[in-house]
Amino acid sequence: MTSLLEVHNISKYYRAKNGWLKQRRICALEPLSFSIQRGETIAIMGETGSGKSTIARLIAGAEAPSSGEIYLNGELLNPHDYQTRCREIRMIFQDSLSSLNSQLTIGRQLLEPLKFNTRLSQAEQHERVYVILQKVGLLPDHFNFYPHMLSSGQQQRVCIARAIILEPQIIVADEAFASLDPSIRAQIINLILDLQEDMGISFIFASHSPEIVKHVADKILIMHRGKMIEFDSTQALLTNPKEQISKNLLQSEQLNKALKHTTTQE
Amino acid sequence: MSTILDIRNLTIELETSAGTVKVLDKVSLQLAEGEIHTLVGESGSGKSLLAKAIMGFINPRWKITADRLWWRHYDLLSLNPTQRRLVTGRDMAMIFQNPGSYLDPNTKIGDQIRETIPKSELKGIYLRRKASRTVRAERLLHRVGIKDHQKVMESYPYQLSEGVAQKVSIAMAIAHNPKLLIADEPTTAMEPNTRNQIYRLLAKLSAGQGMSILMVTQDLTSIVPESQRMSLVYCGQLMESGATEQLLSTPMHPYTQAMLQMSFFDQEIAPKTRLPTLTGAIPTLQHMPIGCRLGPRCPNARRDCIHQPRLTKFKQREFACHFPIREVKSHD
Repeated sequence: MTSLLEVHNISKYYRAKNGWLKQRRICALEPLSFSIQRGETIAIMGETGSGKSTIARLIAGAEAPSSGEIYLNGELLNPHDYQTRCREIRMIFQDSLSSLNSQLTIGRQLLEPLKFNTRLSQAEQHERVYVILQKVGLLPDHFNFYPHMLSSGQQQRVCIARAIILEPQIIVADEAFASLDPSIRAQIINLILDLQEDMGISFIFASHSPEIVKHVADKILIMHRGKMIEFDSTQALLTNPKEQISKNLLQSEQLNKALKHTTTQE
Repeated sequence: MSTILDIRNLTIELETSAGTVKVLDKVSLQLAEGEIHTLVGESGSGKSLLAKAIMGFINPRWKITADRLWWRHYDLLSLNPTQRRLVTGRDMAMIFQNPGSYLDPNTKIGDQIRETIPKSELKGIYLRRKASRTVRAERLLHRVGIKDHQKVMESYPYQLSEGVAQKVSIAMAIAHNPKLLIADEPTTAMEPNTRNQIYRLLAKLSAGQGMSILMVTQDLTSIVPESQRMSLVYCGQLMESGATEQLLSTPMHPYTQAMLQMSFFDQEIAPKTRLPTLTGAIPTLQHMPIGCRLGPRCPNARRDCIHQPRLTKFKQREFACHFPIREVKSHD
C-alpha cells in the first residue's frame, strides 16, 4: 500500500548576498524524508528557526523545494502544479484575520476556491458554501458578514471552512492554535478532530505546545536547526525519547509541577 | 506576610454608545509581600485593565470606583496625579508582551538601560556618575541572566531575540528595585524553553528580594510553577481566587474546572477524544449578560444565575458561584 504523501529527501536553501558578487547559501532545511498515511495527524515540533514552518510551506506548495520530491498517492507532485495542490493540500495560517481578505464577505471568499477549481453551477456553489459553513459551526447568515465582524474563533472557523471546501486530502496548519483563547482553542481542536473523523483528512501541523501535540497527534516530527531529529509515534516519543532535544520539547514544566502538587495533596 | 496591595470591589465603567458598561465588576485582589500571584483570564476579561488601574495608566474616560485600592499605606484613589506618580514610580514596574516592540527602536540597548537607572543611586561628580551608570547597567544585565553584556548593550532592539528582549525589559523594570512587578502576558508566543527561562528568572527575583509579582496570563498552561496564589477573571468578574495548588487540585467554580480541562490538566482525557469546552464565544462588551457573566456558557447554569453571586469565602479562598462543584464544608 502506498502512503498518502511521501516526502523524499526534500531540502531548502536560501541564497543571501555576501558582498557584491559573493553569495552565501543558508540552509533552512537539510534533506529529510517521511511519509504520511490517510487520516493521520502529524505534529512538527521545534524551536524558532528549526525549519518547521519551512516544511509546512514546502508541503503546501507555498515555496518550491531546492531538491527532493513529494509524492501524493504515489504520483510525483510537481512544485508548480498549483491545480492539484490547491485541491488536495490546503493550508491554515496562524493569524486568521490577516489571512482573510478584509474587503470580501465570508461567502465570497469561500466561493472563490470553488469558482477556480470546480465546475459547479452558481446555485450549487452557493449551496456548498452554506453546507460548509454549517459544518464548521457557523450559520448560513454569516455568508454576508465581513471578517472583522466575527470573533477570533469564528475567523479561525472560516479559515478552516476555506481549507476543507474543496474536500482536500491533507490540511497543513502552521501554528493555527497559538493565538486563540483556551476555550476557543478547545472548540477548534474538537472541530478539527470531528472533521478528520468525518472526511478522513490527514492533518499536518506545526506547534510548540506539548499539550496540544500530545492530545492530537499520531506521530511527531522533531526538528532542530533544519535537521530532522526524530520521527516516531506519539506514544513512543513520550515514553522513550532518544534525544535530549525531544525530551525538552515534549515535557511541559508547568504541567508537571502542577500535577506533582496535586498528587502530593491527594 | 503582610498584604501590600489590597483591592476591594474595584469597578471600572466605560462610556460607550450603548450606555455605560462595567468592564471590571467588583474585583477584589490581595497581594502579599514577596508573593507571585497569577491572574488568569481570556481576552476581554479585563485582566490588563486591572493591571493598568493598579499602575495608574488611566484613561480619563474610565470611571474607577473601589471600596479600597490601597498600596501599602497609600490610598491610591485619593492621591493626586503627581503624588500617585511618585508612589508608583518608586514602588512599581511593569513588563509587557512583545518586548521587542516596547523598546525604543532607535536607541541602543545600553543607552536605554542606562537611562532607567535612578539618579539617587549614583554618587560622585559628573564623570564618576556616568561611569557608574554603565557599571550598574552591566550588573543589571548580569542579574537577569545575560552574560554577554557587551554585545547586548551595543545592539538595537531588532537584533535581539524575543527572550533576550524580555530579559532586557525585566532588567529595566528592576533597575530601581520595585516592590511590585506587574507582568502583563510576558511570555505569550514564546517557545517553551525561553518561556521557562523567563519564569525561572521571575521566581528568582521574587524569592531573592521579596519582590511581589502579579503575573497576568491568558492560559493555565503558562502559569509560573512557583506561583503561590491565583485568581481567575472572566468578562470582568472574579470567578475564583485562592492558593494555586488548591485551585488546580480542587476547583470550586465551573469556570476553573473548564479552564483546567481545556488546558489539558485532566489526565483522564484520552488523546483524540473531544475536549470538554465552554459553548459559544466570549461576549462582546456591548452584550454582557446580566448576573453571572459566565451564565450563558456555564454547564451548571440555572435560573438563579441571573443574579450576580456574592463571593463565598472559606479556607482562604474565594469563589463567586451559586452552584459550586464541590460542597463547601463548614466544619473545617
